[in-house]
Amino acid sequence: MFPAKIEKYVRPQSIAEALAALGEFEEGDAMFLAGGQSAMQAIKSRMLRPECIVDLQNISELKGIDAAAGGLRIGAMTRYVEIAQSAALNGAFAALADAAARVGDRQVRNRGTIGGSVCWNYMASCMPAVVLGTNGTMNLTAANGGERSIAADDFFLGPLETAREDTEILTSVSWDAPVSKTGSAYKKWGLVTDALPVVGVCVRVSVGGDGTCSDARVSISGLAGGGERAPAAETALLGSDGSTAAIAKAMDAAAEAADTHSDMSADADYRRQLIRNLGREVAASAFARART
Amino acid sequence: MPTINVTVNGERYEETVPERLLLSDFLRERLSLTGTHIGCTYEGVCGACTIHLDGEAVKSCLMLAVQADGHAITTIEGLRDGSLTPLQAAFKANHALQCGFCTPGILMNMTEFLEKNPNPTDEEIRHGLVGNLCRCTGYVHIVKAVREAAQSTTR
Repeated sequence: MFPAKIEKYVRPQSIAEALAALGEFEEGDAMFLAGGQSAMQAIKSRMLRPECIVDLQNISELKGIDAAAGGLRIGAMTRYVEIAQSAALNGAFAALADAAARVGDRQVRNRGTIGGSVCWNYMASCMPAVVLGTNGTMNLTAANGGERSIAADDFFLGPLETAREDTEILTSVSWDAPVSKTGSAYKKWGLVTDALPVVGVCVRVSVGGDGTCSDARVSISGLAGGGERAPAAETALLGSDGSTAAIAKAMDAAAEAADTHSDMSADADYRRQLIRNLGREVAASAFARART
Repeated sequence: MPTINVTVNGERYEETVPERLLLSDFLRERLSLTGTHIGCTYEGVCGACTIHLDGEAVKSCLMLAVQADGHAITTIEGLRDGSLTPLQAAFKANHALQCGFCTPGILMNMTEFLEKNPNPTDEEIRHGLVGNLCRCTGYVHIVKAVREAAQSTTR
């Protein structure tokens, strides 16, 4: 568990400097390092052998939580500890704090970042599924300064795969202001406390003036394909009253439709049961948050 | 090779290091601060190598030494200033260690934990300990010691 030889280490002060530093190497030979809590493990096991590491720790424009005008923007280098403790992340965005507060352990949360997690997109991880379930948008800047924004639905392509090009930097993740009363929640189950999710469920619901569900997004973490949406549950929740029975029906549908797998952590049927149990709790919490 | 400037336990060091040198190895082999332990062959799961980076608990095996350039580090050797800290005294009084291998990392983590949360519940203490493996104690005495340290300093 030692890194292969690294030729160069740079610590740029701005996004433009970071992109320029990356561009000095052949595509794929230099990599951005965010908090490093996953990447360093990959580097030490030599799954990754970067010639150059571009450390993003000093780029202040990549840090911070901005909840102006009801929307939300979280800088890519914002750490879990800051997300977990942010007073801004309630209602529609509470699932982000639910997830961040239970990632890894204190030491990991003191360094790990939302940007690192979504760009790494590990199969059993929380933030990608939560960004998907809350309908986040990834904001990227290319070497020529060009910017583009990619919805979570189009960003996460499968375990360790995203729509980010090697030459692009993720600058922030952002969310539109919810149009009506909205709540979200996330919970996972792992083999030990705060472990990687065997299964996690994220639910975001909006309720209209008549109290029924006017919008629903449900995502599941820990599936073989990584974080995935659960359209069957979304359809079942939409228009429902958010009652215990309605939620149970929706999560049964999610469990039925999910492409669960068996491995040393849990078998496929157990994963379906986890989707039912976690889903019920999380959906009830999301409705309660929407209504407060 | 890059030259880094770090402050470790209040002393300034200027050292030239290979890019791939881990911070944990820099502390142990360059500075001979061997109280920072390696429990899990550098996999980042045991927490024995926990140090303070600018006052925050982090695992030193999940960082390169070059990443610490310009930062202040405290290791277990720098935790006590003369007498035992209240947390160290509580560990001693409550038999919160047996072999002691995990103890430096736990002390570094829980020292910062208590700074952030001076009056924790047992549940919060246990949640705070997730990143530190102890194979001797079963954690009961560790939780008790952290609780007692919190009470002794907030009283």
